[in-house]
Amino acid sequence: MSRSDVLVDAAWVESHRDDPHVVLVEVDEDTAAYDKGHIRNAIKLDWQKDLQDHVRRDFVDKAGFEALLSERGIGNDDTVVLYGGNNNWFAAYAYWYFKIYGHRNVKLLDGGRKKWELESRELVTEVPKRAATHYTASDPDSSIRALRDEVVAAIGTWNLVDVRSPDEFSGKLLAPAHLPQESAQRPGHIPSARNIPWSKAANEDGTFRSDDDLRELYSGAGVDFGKDTIAYCRIGERSAHTWFVLHELLGQPNVKNYDGSWTEYGSLVAVPIELGAAS
Amino acid sequence: MTASDGCGAPAGGVSAPADVGDQAVVQGRVTHDGAPVATGYARLLDSGGDFVAEVPLGSDGGFRFFAAPGTWTVRVLAPGGLSGDQSVTADTGRLAAVELAL
Repeated sequence: MSRSDVLVDAAWVESHRDDPHVVLVEVDEDTAAYDKGHIRNAIKLDWQKDLQDHVRRDFVDKAGFEALLSERGIGNDDTVVLYGGNNNWFAAYAYWYFKIYGHRNVKLLDGGRKKWELESRELVTEVPKRAATHYTASDPDSSIRALRDEVVAAIGTWNLVDVRSPDEFSGKLLAPAHLPQESAQRPGHIPSARNIPWSKAANEDGTFRSDDDLRELYSGAGVDFGKDTIAYCRIGERSAHTWFVLHELLGQPNVKNYDGSWTEYGSLVAVPIELGAAS
Repeated sequence: MTASDGCGAPAGGVSAPADVGDQAVVQGRVTHDGAPVATGYARLLDSGGDFVAEVPLGSDGGFRFFAAPGTWTVRVLAPGGLSGDQSVTADTGRLAAVELAL
């Protein structure tokens, strides 16, 4: 796996966006951004409405994923290019999600919606029509998803990478600062976790930093590349961004995203929590 | 689910009334040559210059953060290479207003 297999730039999108076997997908939590304007021929996925189970706290099951992609006109052999707001947080989450269900050819637009907008590239409001498909998903790949018991067992053993901001890590804030401060029952972080905010992996325009810079960032902050790794944040999308960096860009073999993240861990009973800044 | 269940970009702008309550709100508006900057991003940096959050600007050039008491920097990025920084002090139960002209 190398950077060119998993990332595309704006020029690539501009030359492939009319290819019927390339499906551009904007992924956001608030789809008002898509409705206001999106890259020509891009369809939208709503992080919450489309990708989350509406009853259980979980993502949609295999049958639900198949129905969703079939209805949106995505075929098993299509190249899916994801992009979105928030420096691609939700696009990275969707990337991880497409990998969970075994989609073969999926990529991120480096820099996401922000870089595209800051470069004043074309945005349109027309919604493309794609013919329905019969999408077949693989069984979920649990090797890239961590559940709570694995996280507790990993304390002091695996690399735990907390990708939230330093103030969320220390317990000063419970949520990112563009949201009201309400979330888990308790603030803090998982003992033995290193605090490497997702934003350290990105340039100001939202693109990923170079492989050399990224390797230095994680090893300099105490990540042992010889060990397995679990990344977490608050709800699992910022940590999907870091999962993408470690697993897809740097090619680390065993990296899991803990999508329960702090909203689950910080509400668990009788698990250890640490407060305070990273040592 | 409420909007706060996610980490995502909220709808741009500050048209909804701010319920300051026990929050430390940083809110403002971005202009260029006197007109609102409707396309762009506001990011909140902590006292060490580290990224904390980012929101798209609203059609009125507005943005809002729920911070913690302390000193923060708002940094704005807009098309055409426009950018600007402003320092702001936030307090619990208060709305700290920022006017940023690029």
